[in-house]
Amino acid sequence: MTKVKGIFGNFKRYWFLMTQLIGRDFKVKYKRSVLGILWSLLNPILTMAVMAVVFSQMFKFKVEGVNYIVYLMTGIIMFNYFSTASRDAMTSVVENFSLINKVYIPKYIFPVAKCLFVGIDFLLTLIPWVGIILLSYVGLGEYTCHINWYYLLLPYIFVCMLFFTVGMGLLLSCLSVFLRDIWHIYGIVLTLWNYLTPVFYSIEILPTKLQVLMHFNPLYQFLEAARTVVLYGQAPSLKTLGILGFIGIGMLGIGAFVFRKKQDKFIYYI
Amino acid sequence: MINIENVSMKFNLGIEKDFSIKQAFVNLFTKKGKRKKEEFWALKDVDFHIGRGEVVGLIGSNGAGKSTLLKVVSGVMKPTKGKVEVNGVISPMIELGAGFDGNLTARENIYLNGAILGYSKKFLDSKFDEIVEFSELKDFLEVPVKNFSSGMTAKLAFSIATIVNPEILIVDEILSVGDIKFQEKSKNKMMEMIKGGTTVLYVSHSLQSIKDLCTKVVWLEHGKVIKMGDTKKICDEYYKSQMN
Repeated sequence: MTKVKGIFGNFKRYWFLMTQLIGRDFKVKYKRSVLGILWSLLNPILTMAVMAVVFSQMFKFKVEGVNYIVYLMTGIIMFNYFSTASRDAMTSVVENFSLINKVYIPKYIFPVAKCLFVGIDFLLTLIPWVGIILLSYVGLGEYTCHINWYYLLLPYIFVCMLFFTVGMGLLLSCLSVFLRDIWHIYGIVLTLWNYLTPVFYSIEILPTKLQVLMHFNPLYQFLEAARTVVLYGQAPSLKTLGILGFIGIGMLGIGAFVFRKKQDKFIYYI
Repeated sequence: MINIENVSMKFNLGIEKDFSIKQAFVNLFTKKGKRKKEEFWALKDVDFHIGRGEVVGLIGSNGAGKSTLLKVVSGVMKPTKGKVEVNGVISPMIELGAGFDGNLTARENIYLNGAILGYSKKFLDSKFDEIVEFSELKDFLEVPVKNFSSGMTAKLAFSIATIVNPEILIVDEILSVGDIKFQEKSKNKMMEMIKGGTTVLYVSHSLQSIKDLCTKVVWLEHGKVIKMGDTKKICDEYYKSQMN
């Protein structure tokens, strides 16, 4: 119990530093651009537009019985959050070596701050995403997505995904200190993971064997739960919600455990 | 206040080399015991105690392990062996301007660097004017730090670092920053901090300033404590050994 208290105390103590690091990322990202923070909205809108045209118009992708554009967008924003956040978190410790070598700062701050920073961007992309859902009422796509009370479950799903991402970030940032090759390997892993996750297709087009395997893909679980709410207007089963929590907390636990074990060795690999 | 017990610090100089395919391949064929060990002990069985209010000077030639010792005490590094106990809030003035981001303005950097040094938001809000006043950079608050001259950056960094009244102050030679006027001012500020009853661990190559300030001196050489004790006696001995 005191251990848990210690962790939270530490978190609270360094929260100001965390906000400063996140603020720095924001300021640096939009410095010298005319539209500034508007890009955080504009970027996803434009990306979504491109993807929507490519997949629904050119490739004529469809998922039976649901609004394909909303299906696609839900997948894209969630997968993009995971891939961007985990990749940025992975490099964050090494990039801040000069700091780590000078002042004592708990090192977990860097990957966690990155995941939160990208998380803010993710929240901003939810605005155009809701816009698309509203547009489905006036005839965007074949089917209308009805906003319903189950939307209140979405924050839970997103938080589980955040935990999962932070766990991955901690693990990868720690491993990449010792083996920089991880950076290159993970780039390829992400590409593969992208295609192995039903972002723009439905798992029904896969052979049954692969469909079963898909359940072991954590990102599929997150996407599927969110889509159940948004596209089908249903609540995910309690079992699914339990699995999401388990995946999130579990990955966070693994990442934190490895990071904690190895963090004192970082200084030798600078 | 600070307890340093049998602290040893080992670095592996071979780490850079091990990270190549060639080396990995070579390592496949050499037995574990036969591999050349490129270990380097930056500190060896360093053991001393610093009491409350003591001002301890660290002397020794370049590469003697002074900076490593400061890093171990400030918590940046964990010692390979032994342990360090510190009771109190440390203000490490080992490197100035840690974490300055050139793209951010001076104002933003004050908050960022302050947070890195462990200050709270409330504290920074209340001391902000004082920092700006001391740094003499009032007109440049909204300018990105990358456009600053190195002297200006150092002045800003010094002003942020010295705004606290820490219980333990760790100082690496950083006194001479800025122009003549600022050098004088920063020196006085340091004296004021050191004489204000804080516990100080001070590294300097200027024996004069060590003699002026310190109540005790530790002489390090090749990571080992050669001698410690009376300031004047050890400084003189150190000077003689260096000159011969």
